[in-house]
Amino acid sequence: MRRLFALLLVAAIVSVLPACSEPPSIVLWHSYRGEEERALVELAKRYEREHGLHVELLALPFDAYTAKLQAAVPRAHGPDVFIDAHERLGIYRREGVVAPVGDAVPPEDVGSYEPTALDAVTIDGSRWGVPLSTKCLALYVNDDVPAGAPDVYPLAYEAENPYHHAAVLSAFGGALLAPDGSYGFDDDAAVRSVLYVRELIAKHAIPGDANGALVKQLFASGRARTSIDGPWLAADLPPSLHFHVEPLPVVQETGRRMRPLLTVEAVMLSPSGARRPEARAFARWLGGPEAALVRATEAHQVVASEPAWRDPRVAGDPLLAAFHEQARAADPMPTSTRMRAVWVPVQEAMRRVFRGEDARVALDDGKRRFEDALKPPPPPPSPAPLAIALGALALVGALFAVRRARTPGFRQQLRESRTPYRYVAHAAVVVFVLVVLPLAAGALTSLFAGTRADPRYVGLGNYLAILTARGGPLLGHGSFYVTLIVTVLWTVCNVTLHVAIGVALGVVLSRPVMRLKGFYRVLLVLPWAVPSYVTALAWKGMFHRQFGAINAILSFLGVQPVSWFSHFSTALAANVATNTWLGFPFMMVVTLGALTSIPREVLEAAEVDGATRWQRFRGVTVPLLKPTMLPAVVLGSVWTFNMFNVVFLVSGGEPDGSTEILVSDAYRWAFTRDAQYGYAAAYAVLIFLILAAGSRLLSRVGGEATT
Amino acid sequence: MKRLESVLAHLGVIVGVVFAVYPLLWVVSVALSPGAMSSHAQALPWPESPSLDAFADVLGLRDGHSAVFARQVVNSLVVSLATAAVAVAVATPAAYALARFRFVGKTWGTRTLLATQMFPAVASAVPLYLLLEAMHLLDSRAGLVLVYASTAVPFAIFQMRGAFDAVPIDLEEAAMVDGASRAGAFWRVALPAVRPAIAVTALFAFMSAWNEFILAATLLSRESAFTLPVVLQRYVGEHDTAWGPFAAGAILVSVPVMALFYVAQRQLVAGLTAGGVKG
Amino acid sequence: MSEPGASTAAPMRAEGPAAGPSIDSERRLPEAPRPVRCAVRGVRKSFGGNPILRGVDVDIPEGAFAVLVGPSGCGKSTLLRLVAGLETADAGTIELAGRDVTALPPRDRDVAMVFQSYALYPHLTVRDNLAFGLKLRKVPAAEIATRIREASAMLGLDTLLDRLPKQLSGGQRQRVAMGRAIVRRANIFLFDEPLSNLDAALRAEVRVEIRRLHDRLGATTLYVTHDQVEAMTLADTLWVMNGGVVEQKGTPLEVYERPRTRFVATFLGSPQMNLVDAVVVREDRALLVDGGGVRVLLDEERFGDALSEGQRVVVGVRPHDFTIAREGAAACTLKVELVEALGFEAFAYGWLRASGPRVVARLEASDAKRVRSGDQLPLAVEPARLHLFDPHTGLALDRS
Repeated sequence: MRRLFALLLVAAIVSVLPACSEPPSIVLWHSYRGEEERALVELAKRYEREHGLHVELLALPFDAYTAKLQAAVPRAHGPDVFIDAHERLGIYRREGVVAPVGDAVPPEDVGSYEPTALDAVTIDGSRWGVPLSTKCLALYVNDDVPAGAPDVYPLAYEAENPYHHAAVLSAFGGALLAPDGSYGFDDDAAVRSVLYVRELIAKHAIPGDANGALVKQLFASGRARTSIDGPWLAADLPPSLHFHVEPLPVVQETGRRMRPLLTVEAVMLSPSGARRPEARAFARWLGGPEAALVRATEAHQVVASEPAWRDPRVAGDPLLAAFHEQARAADPMPTSTRMRAVWVPVQEAMRRVFRGEDARVALDDGKRRFEDALKPPPPPPSPAPLAIALGALALVGALFAVRRARTPGFRQQLRESRTPYRYVAHAAVVVFVLVVLPLAAGALTSLFAGTRADPRYVGLGNYLAILTARGGPLLGHGSFYVTLIVTVLWTVCNVTLHVAIGVALGVVLSRPVMRLKGFYRVLLVLPWAVPSYVTALAWKGMFHRQFGAINAILSFLGVQPVSWFSHFSTALAANVATNTWLGFPFMMVVTLGALTSIPREVLEAAEVDGATRWQRFRGVTVPLLKPTMLPAVVLGSVWTFNMFNVVFLVSGGEPDGSTEILVSDAYRWAFTRDAQYGYAAAYAVLIFLILAAGSRLLSRVGGEATT
Repeated sequence: MKRLESVLAHLGVIVGVVFAVYPLLWVVSVALSPGAMSSHAQALPWPESPSLDAFADVLGLRDGHSAVFARQVVNSLVVSLATAAVAVAVATPAAYALARFRFVGKTWGTRTLLATQMFPAVASAVPLYLLLEAMHLLDSRAGLVLVYASTAVPFAIFQMRGAFDAVPIDLEEAAMVDGASRAGAFWRVALPAVRPAIAVTALFAFMSAWNEFILAATLLSRESAFTLPVVLQRYVGEHDTAWGPFAAGAILVSVPVMALFYVAQRQLVAGLTAGGVKG
Repeated sequence: MSEPGASTAAPMRAEGPAAGPSIDSERRLPEAPRPVRCAVRGVRKSFGGNPILRGVDVDIPEGAFAVLVGPSGCGKSTLLRLVAGLETADAGTIELAGRDVTALPPRDRDVAMVFQSYALYPHLTVRDNLAFGLKLRKVPAAEIATRIREASAMLGLDTLLDRLPKQLSGGQRQRVAMGRAIVRRANIFLFDEPLSNLDAALRAEVRVEIRRLHDRLGATTLYVTHDQVEAMTLADTLWVMNGGVVEQKGTPLEVYERPRTRFVATFLGSPQMNLVDAVVVREDRALLVDGGGVRVLLDEERFGDALSEGQRVVVGVRPHDFTIAREGAAACTLKVELVEALGFEAFAYGWLRASGPRVVARLEASDAKRVRSGDQLPLAVEPARLHLFDPHTGLALDRS
């Protein structure tokens, strides 16, 4: 024990020691990996060698990239330069993350960039990035599979992904977001494009609900002759596969060629980086022909630098050439922040149509949801009423405190509290500063709307909007109340199953004569040990309609395959199954612990009294377990209520956002619906109030459990 | 009759084990498959042409990144162990006070503690960032440890309080009569009596730090300081995910946790015995 | 895991008398503790506005064996914990060896205590349990070893020194708890119901050993119990407590024979003293109590002034003070419901009157053979054995 403590202490001390590092000359953040990362590292080294300036690279996970930039750059802790896609320029500009590149793209360089790419990073007449490469979808063709081969999909792509569908939509003359920033997925072109794809799925010309991994597998294994995918697919294909890439085909129904969305990856400058000439010089160099040549040859990037294409190694690469050609026939993704709010309504609408719903209705709903999400915040009210209310609240609190302080014996109690205060002081400080304060600050943002850089006080406007279901029907789609009901249902199902399975296994495993107990115990806690962000995705894969293991088992048993994420009940069941799997080991361990504190004599007494096994369980074990289990159940319920990542990763809210729970909805407002942090914070406060009331009620009903 | 019961009991547990292990077999199968997930509907998670390439990739054996990987393992260990140490050190005396003393603000404090578990952290990342900046702890492992530990503290307090509740107060009184001070009784008698609960609490705190990546990626800005989950998460890209290494990495990441579980499982059962997670 | 609660909670199966060597009280300790005087004056204590002690005075002379006895909730354990320093008094003082220790923490009082639950440290071996207090007081290691050797020899713990508490039987744990107190050589020994977790046979055995240990060590001892047998057999001085006050103090025999209150009268003695409501009457110039089926002549020497005619009183008679009356001399007649024969004596249960309280009388074993259920049994009481109490105050009515 003492040795363990010593070890922990040493670890604590080591963690405090700063890891020493040289002050870097230029800091570059990126989320590249694989060959793109290797090329970037090589370029940084070369730049240092040739220009005597050290470039410090930091590779970040994509999932944390945008959030980190938004947190760090405005506080001047960010990089000098960073690499990102041009479509995030809108939000970066709004949040003060990016600055114009200035002389990193001097007039003499303008001609050397792909015009589309340069246009994409130009907003309001300024350039906000140095284009590096373009990425867009194109058509992969497997040369070994003849057209019309049996049991082979003529085409495989992520049909439900709006990014892919945008290409189809363009052939019908539509666009997801109109140039004026209005929602585009509600016109005739949109309806026709969705119905066209629905028809293709029905004819088995393309697979339904295919994700990227599946498309890759279908194409790589020759079970799909062609595939619409981006340049990233090529690196993952086996070397033995014979394929080529060509521009997206013509949609016969309209006779027009598909135009994919174009993403331009660019070096961007943070405001502090933009002030440094050496950072601008490096950005210019990284986008320039010399570096572009390396990026094209080593990382197979479709570089935006025109001179690089004069090199035969680049121009002669058929893959690069094909994507280069496609890029010229692509539409740059809009940079408007409104684009971020497009994806979810479009995807929900598409899925509804593919499930057979009326296209007109589904698409109109999508438009309504888009406009609802971007509804301008209410006008700023006078802060006076709230200030008065808060003041009154503080006054009542002060009065209460004074009254308490004047009760007889209070001084005595306070004197006696001095010793315990010495024990709780550091915990109180740590929890208050690092847990309560950030939460309270988060709660305060619920009174604001707009961006972080430019918050607007709206009083209780966010709460009002949530509680009135944003002016829609109170029990309408995605309203707070419907989501609340789903959340309660989700929590009840999960906790019931957690407790039932956990207690059952715990009781069986605590049988004194049980063999292999330790072995079983370790296997049964495995779901707890493996990171849930991986296992939840494994579960999602298992529930896949066409290729999932669950349906494979069902068909083995002679049951029709189930389209799990098409119906509310089955989608919820899939979520609950995943979360039950993640959560039952905790309850089992709690039960095992609680059971050992039940004296065996009591059970034996009941047995002598003639109680059956079940009666003993109900009459003796359960009541004796209750006091130990109840706090665990309360905490478990709270955690389940706020367990957003399972919903996020497994059903993703499908079908049609109906399996969304309150907390995952809050995350959607914060991260996919135009960054409405204030609105999300209001959700968080409401969740907190509901849980606080609920747990008070529960402990009132179930005895003193929590205090 | 007894025999039948025993068979039924084993059967029940085996069903549970299959439920627990089956999805993990898929993860293993993906980790062993050179391509992505199987495109054939199959009930048994068998990789099509098994290879250990994904594991080699994660361990950096193929591109000479092993040293980096090793350093990140060390980072993860240091951060997680320190988190466990700090969480236990902070929570234990507080839990003891809650179990043993009456004091002004106790009820209110306990409620606040419970309340922190109810508040979704959706809007608290930025305030936390500003706070660490003000404390000059940004981009330091100490700051990260502090953040992890403070989030682990409320649960640790509940857990440890239950354990202390189960220790008869007579023990400490006996120690005080024997000549110990109040603090001496806590150190010499109460603390050793809840050793199993300390082990379990430390394990929980360790795990919460071991698997976290968003905060680590946001608060740290040096690759040399990154923890394993941050590195693992880099296999998830915007357009595609490297499933094989991602799954292989998840398995590698969970190996130390499993080992700890195995070592701690007796304590785990007994540690929660000593009062469970009594709130 | 060695669960601390389990080691102490349930009564343990006792080992037979032969299982462990009994206490060797012949062995002398080279350096006997210095007995001190313990004085408690006007101590009050309440918990959350609920008074537990309402002004208690206890004075234990050097080397005395004092027993606090009373029903549960009477405050006796609280008083003991106040002496130990585990609680602080709201008012009043506590003195040990003439020194005011009221505000001192336990460690500065030099007291040793045996807990009801034994409170053995579950993570320490028997040896370390014994050494714990000595190490805290920085006693040299050699000295610790000597004291442990002596105490464990005295208590027969020699072979158990390296075991953990969870590996001991109930009786063994009890002895370790005592050993922990003995090695301390403290000013004063405090016992908090130390026998209540033992079974009956072992309890009697250890009871005797405790008294012999005390006589051997000569240390001042304060012993709390609710068991009247322990109280009667162990005490030099007995304090009977009820409702937060001392009802009576004295030697065990004094208290038994002259209970000053109705509570003390009924609390001590088994079976309980019989109580009957009656009225004082004067007949033929003789003073009698009459009522509830009892009619007894009073000893006017003893009660004379305290009584007046027509006064309502409660008459108390111990079961052992009844004798079977000769014809015509009966003080009362017991309608026998049940006879409980114990071999050497017997108890007859019944009623004096159909509506009256249940009454118990002790019979000689030989007499009991002739008594049947349903019999009318004439009983006599010696006037000197009679106790009278005021029905309102509960105080004994006595000339003194």
